[in-house]
Amino acid sequence: MASLPKRIIKETERLVSDPVPGITAQPHEDNLRYFQVTIEGPQQSPYESGVFELELFLPDDYPMEAPKVRFLTKIYHPNIDRLGRICLDVLKTNWSPALQIRTVLLSIQALLASPNPNDPLANDVAEDWIKNEEAAIEKAREWTRLYAKPK
Amino acid sequence: MGNVPTKLEDDRPVRSGRSVSVSATTSGGNGGAVATRTHRASSLVGNLLTSRSRSNSGFYSANPYKRKSTKEKEKLKEKHARQLVVKYNETVDGGFLAPYGCCSIEKLDYDAKVVRSLIIDRKLAPFYTPLQDFDDSWSVNEVVKIVDGLPLHASFTPELEEFEGVPIGDLSNPDFDYLIDKTLSRREQRRMRSKIFNARLYQKRIIWQENENERFLEQKLEAKNHTGASNQYLPNDSLKYDMYKQGAECPICFLYFPEPMNVSRCCLQPICTECFIQIRRAEPHFPHDENDSDSQDENKDPNLLISEPANCPYCATPNFGVTYEPLKERRTGIQGPSPASYVHQEPVKNDESSVTGKRRGSLAAGHPQVITSDAVRPEWQVKLTKERMRLARRSANATAIHVSNQLVVPNHDSQSPRGLSISPRDVTISDSPNTWTSTNAGDIENQMIEQAIKLSLADQKEQKKRRHSAK
Repeated sequence: MASLPKRIIKETERLVSDPVPGITAQPHEDNLRYFQVTIEGPQQSPYESGVFELELFLPDDYPMEAPKVRFLTKIYHPNIDRLGRICLDVLKTNWSPALQIRTVLLSIQALLASPNPNDPLANDVAEDWIKNEEAAIEKAREWTRLYAKPK
Repeated sequence: MGNVPTKLEDDRPVRSGRSVSVSATTSGGNGGAVATRTHRASSLVGNLLTSRSRSNSGFYSANPYKRKSTKEKEKLKEKHARQLVVKYNETVDGGFLAPYGCCSIEKLDYDAKVVRSLIIDRKLAPFYTPLQDFDDSWSVNEVVKIVDGLPLHASFTPELEEFEGVPIGDLSNPDFDYLIDKTLSRREQRRMRSKIFNARLYQKRIIWQENENERFLEQKLEAKNHTGASNQYLPNDSLKYDMYKQGAECPICFLYFPEPMNVSRCCLQPICTECFIQIRRAEPHFPHDENDSDSQDENKDPNLLISEPANCPYCATPNFGVTYEPLKERRTGIQGPSPASYVHQEPVKNDESSVTGKRRGSLAAGHPQVITSDAVRPEWQVKLTKERMRLARRSANATAIHVSNQLVVPNHDSQSPRGLSISPRDVTISDSPNTWTSTNAGDIENQMIEQAIKLSLADQKEQKKRRHSAK
């Protein structure tokens, strides 16, 4: 494997030295492009007091190509599907090499705070969300209690 | 039949074989008039299509749409790779004409000729050798020592995964046909050839760069041993220090470069040349549609294919471009005095305040000072048109096959037991088997010819237009 680009080394260092509140990202020992991530559910969202695990991978072309991020913890959210895949513009067409691991994770945290059922990835969840928002939010709370327990 | 022109030259026999097999199936199993008719019709369409492709690959060698043979393509790629070699005696203001770190030739498919001349014209910052870090507390000697230790190019990974197990043979022998397994199918052979070629090219690049590195090292040692006679191509300590003592981190690769850097035309953010040349338009694609039920690309109008210009990585303004303002006092190397004769000058006070004090506003993409991402990859238009043509040919081909299938069905139908035919095509025709007369068959034949003529006319028109715009 090619040596790790300076950018990835510096980003990793800065994530450790200057962590983002509510977010952790740890590179894997065997593969420094693979990160284990946790994101705390934002306050006043149905995900509050949950801790969600994610995986993040930096492809060879990073930062010209977006990192690949996926939820490992089960979550009830209209823009996150059953496999944990995330529908977020900055992870796809709106990716820019000036963005970083840090900014991507912040965007995901923001997505938890403001679900967007009008641009769904999980169609069934989005439908529930539009039909009966209160019930959907309650279900999201329940899932958070069930699956996103802080360790 | 129709999809030929996207293929390589040596595909010809395969294609003619295919068109024969089409007419064979059309006439297969049924005797008489229909058989000869279908045969005539399909070969007529075939002729029109082949003549079309022939005229495509014909005259006008400058025509970018002309099909290139595999050998020609390989030659061009090798020539491009040669231009990616960093040479110690090709310097501009302390930087170089080729990138330092990026090894992947796919990422470096920019127009090297354009970029080299932009750097020489001081319209784009040169490719500087970056530092991994910089510490303000370093003394002059320390900075000079660190810069002295910099190589021309980052080290290549000797064994890339993608080339694992690919034979490269004798690199000094330009012919490597003997490495290709001749028992493979043509397509496989072509794939193997391209793999071997790429693996060989990668090794060649390593050798070319290593030779250059060696020369660079020798010159540096020699200059050190004879401190009096300096090498005209090597920078003196004063230049090294002046360059690196004032630098900045590129916000994209996080490496430390001498200033001034390129700045984005829209939001004035710095970007190093190596990152700049890696930012490019999206590949040709169909517009993203919210409610896109018809996801099959074949069914879409090829003219809808688009490719948007790159956005600014910092502020997302479309049509990314940069400007560069060189330091007059640092002008050395190509089209300047020797980097060995550089004399440190304090920048004139007035000058500096006018440069740094007054920030320029945003500039339009068309401003003469602005270098856009499209400018360093001028081939994008050709690429888009080629992709559109490829798709158009594919759908024309599908139409032709569809029409010729319609011609065969009635006979096939009369021979096969009615109960077994399940395809919708058979059903519609079996609804009125008796009305299927020669006039109907003739109609379809006419339709087919008409379609072929239309295609060829459209193609000619397109070519004329292109030739016109090329003038």
